[in-house]
Amino acid sequence: MNPDTPKQRLQHRQTEEQSTEQQQTTGQQAGLAFDSVEELLRYDNLQTTPPPAIAKRLKVSLEQEPKPKRSWWQRLFGGRDSE
Amino acid sequence: MPVPVKYDAPASVAELATTPSSASWQALYEQHSRYVYYLALRTVGDPTLAEDITHDVFLKAYRNLDQFRGQSGLRTWLYRITINHCQNTQRAWQKRNIISTGDPQALDAVAANTDSPLRVLEIKELGQKIQQTLEALSDEYRLLLLLVADENLSYQEIASLTEQSSDAVRGKLHRARRAFVLEFQKNS
Repeated sequence: MNPDTPKQRLQHRQTEEQSTEQQQTTGQQAGLAFDSVEELLRYDNLQTTPPPAIAKRLKVSLEQEPKPKRSWWQRLFGGRDSE
Repeated sequence: MPVPVKYDAPASVAELATTPSSASWQALYEQHSRYVYYLALRTVGDPTLAEDITHDVFLKAYRNLDQFRGQSGLRTWLYRITINHCQNTQRAWQKRNIISTGDPQALDAVAANTDSPLRVLEIKELGQKIQQTLEALSDEYRLLLLLVADENLSYQEIASLTEQSSDAVRGKLHRARRAFVLEFQKNS
């Protein structure tokens, strides 16, 4: 089933993560088997967390940035600039 | 086939243009940073470089929000920035270093058993093994496999990101999977 709504996607992701945890537990005892390269890479992605330092660095960088320009559709539909 | 799931409508981008510390930016980072970082890490193979790239991608996205027209998903847009950034980083790196890459044609010519599952016994070294396998592939095969692993991207979006037709993506993916399995089995 392909999740369509945010709630379904969250449930889907949670199920996926639970399944990954289960796989990992099993894997420690008997190894893992992946049916496809994509499945293997998805598992690898779930095991790879971006270092928290990036978020901290980014926060500092963004605070030093001037307010970004508004896109054409924002100018058209977005109303006035908020100060 | 991956089915595109659009959970980032352009309306939410309007919120992003308010303040850098807004909840929208945090949500954007939390939603996409794992994917941007993973693509960068497995493309350049260096965690420190991948960290820099991820930071720069989100900063660039913030600076160029006005260029995002909402015609593609935010993830696709962030991937486009990531791919360009990785290519520039690799070009700069290759200018200073001589690298030897495997011959993708030769890799294709060997039959790989793609029907049997990829078995992994040692989980702690899995990331390293995947990295070694990806590095043995051509840049194009590596990128296609990393993109198709993201279930949020359709073949059409992958085709757009890699500037080719969906049919070409399908054909190359078939060969890329074979090449990956062969190399992965070789390292086992």
